[in-house]
Amino acid sequence: MAERRHPGIWAMRLIYAALCLALIFLNLLPLDTMPRGWAGPDFMLALTCAWVVRRPDFVPLVLIALVFLLADLLYQMPPGLWAAFVVIGTEAMRRRAPLLRDLTFLAEWFTVAVILTVITIGNQIVLAVLLIDRPSPGLYLMQLVMTLACYPVVAYASQIVFGVRKQAPGDVEAMVNRK
Amino acid sequence: MAKDRSNSSDYTGPLKRLVFGLVLIGLLGLFLVWRIDSPRVEKFRAQVVDTVVPNFEWAMAPVTGMVNLLRDYHSYQRIYQQNQELRRELQQMRAWKEAALQLEQENARLLDLNNVQLDPRLTYITGVVMTDSGSPFRQSVVINVGARDGIVDGWAAMDGLGLVGRISGVGQRTSRVVLLTDSASRVPVIIQPSGQKALVIGDNSAAPLLDFIEAPDRLRPGDRVLTSGDGGVFPPRLAIGQVLQNPGGRYRIRLAADHERLEFLRVLRDYANEPITDPGRLIAPRVLIPEAAEEQGTEAAEASNG
Repeated sequence: MAERRHPGIWAMRLIYAALCLALIFLNLLPLDTMPRGWAGPDFMLALTCAWVVRRPDFVPLVLIALVFLLADLLYQMPPGLWAAFVVIGTEAMRRRAPLLRDLTFLAEWFTVAVILTVITIGNQIVLAVLLIDRPSPGLYLMQLVMTLACYPVVAYASQIVFGVRKQAPGDVEAMVNRK
Repeated sequence: MAKDRSNSSDYTGPLKRLVFGLVLIGLLGLFLVWRIDSPRVEKFRAQVVDTVVPNFEWAMAPVTGMVNLLRDYHSYQRIYQQNQELRRELQQMRAWKEAALQLEQENARLLDLNNVQLDPRLTYITGVVMTDSGSPFRQSVVINVGARDGIVDGWAAMDGLGLVGRISGVGQRTSRVVLLTDSASRVPVIIQPSGQKALVIGDNSAAPLLDFIEAPDRLRPGDRVLTSGDGGVFPPRLAIGQVLQNPGGRYRIRLAADHERLEFLRVLRDYANEPITDPGRLIAPRVLIPEAAEEQGTEAAEASNG
């Protein structure tokens, strides 16, 4: 059983890493060197949340930490802080994932919204306490709202395109039977 | 099987918690080290950028080109109108060119009369913009020249028209330019023709703020803003832009450099600069550095004794 399941999981982990790298790449393209005054959604965060809630085994903690640390370093943000908050947030989601499996999408969306809001506020508080130079909190708020707004689309797309859907009770039985 | 599973969960539970704790300690530790000793971590960041970004380079140029092409598409639709506008502008430019040539000749004659030597060391290296900062919170670009090409932290970067920013973070093959619009950017300037000193403060908007002006009432919108060279941060007399006044009465700068399209940047070699060894240190004139001040103090004492 182990031999059969592993390639799938590792392939999905690779796909997750590749998607995140592609998103970082797209963000880094020098298209807008003008300050925009608005912030788009953080697709990488939405993708990570959607995958953690659906299939926690596809996005191991260490991978999330590495990807977000890389993003911190490349985006010129305080290194490690946002990555740490994302790891905390996704762990909280991971613990609730079995519960959310049985609930509706609305409940899932709400849970994600609460967790992301908490970690965004936490990030702001740490930045403020340590007197780190940062732009207005309005931009962070805008990014949070945009991320939450695009969450259903990202979740739906990962379900359709990459087959990342919640495990139904039948799946486990099928897996056991396959053995 | 059931026994197996319970065993494995017994085993993986604490292990997972351990990994979680270790990862968290690692990340927060890195953050704290950055907060305490940022130059070292920034050097590490420059190295990461240096290893990661050049790998993307083969894809970056074509994708950027494609997106810009699509964006420009709507401008092709009114190409005739643009052509007319350009012709009109060209006419005006011819008149300006004539004036400039005359001024250049006059200037050359005057320089010759005075036997002035311009600083011959102010040469430049041109780099191509590879990436922007990637997030809306910071304003910076990465260019494809680095320590290998002799780039040093603190040098000024310009496009053809005006000052763009300052080198902050040098890797072997890449270096980062923090733009004047970044909220961490402060540049001492002089405003012509009134000759006042002020500070240009980036605030993440397209037009940086002009603050600490000596006499704001002598300022006119449209005055030219140049670097003053104070503190040895930048070479003096580099063009930055023009003064704007917004309805609230605050002064801002319209940047001379074309920030819409930063493609090539000139990095000015400036060996007369104060040596800036680490990006986080205070950059101050010699007087404020303790040893230099002491020396001056003793000199002054000697002078008064004598």
